Amino acid sequence: MAIPSGSEDLRPHIRDEEPRSDDFVVVRGGPDSLAKLATHARRTYRAFNLDGAAFWGVSVFCALDQIGPASLDSILAVRMATYGLVHTPTVGRMREAGFELLPTFGRPHYTVRLVSDDDEELARLLAALGPADLNTYHGRTPRPRRR
Amino acid sequence: MVMIDIAADLNDEDETGFVWTFLDEARDPSVVVPGAIVVAGDADAPAVAQVVDVIEKPSGKIVHLRLLPGGLEDYEALVRRAITPA
Repeated sequence: MAIPSGSEDLRPHIRDEEPRSDDFVVVRGGPDSLAKLATHARRTYRAFNLDGAAFWGVSVFCALDQIGPASLDSILAVRMATYGLVHTPTVGRMREAGFELLPTFGRPHYTVRLVSDDDEELARLLAALGPADLNTYHGRTPRPRRR
Repeated sequence: MVMIDIAADLNDEDETGFVWTFLDEARDPSVVVPGAIVVAGDADAPAVAQVVDVIEKPSGKIVHLRLLPGGLEDYEALVRRAITPA
């Protein structure tokens, strides 16, 4: 499939940091739906290609550490603070469903790679993300991002 | 019902570390200028954000957003407190 005119190669933005454990938690602010995932995947497609090929993806964060900015607590309390609901599958669950987690941009951001934006693929992703749960950090006294 | 100024996936982050989206996804692009406070995201998960910059890229104009702390209801309460009828 042709890549959109003007899309940027994502390759230079990929870190060398595959999640070390299938037990790591993946976090995505929700709630998601097929329609939303389609919109987001197509936004990524419009902006990026991968090595000159079409690329669909959806952003997530991965709890890589026990403490610090890449810990689950920090991701939920800081990066996900505006989300009342979050999807929290494990890395293993995403991999078992056949999804690749590309370590993109700054740590601990990842992009779930999709093979297309068709309904079947998006439904597989929605199922892999699982139900959205309450973000217990939502609405607490916010802490500003260090940026 | 929440009216979103600019649709975005608030999970999206690029090399700047800020949330990004396309300017043409704004309800009224003229209000999405650097420094402006906008409502971003979607109706299920809106967030108050500040426009950091608008960057021209070959794929379109990219808006970077800094998510501000608190929810929309916090800002509503703030405005109610601050602005009292004369």
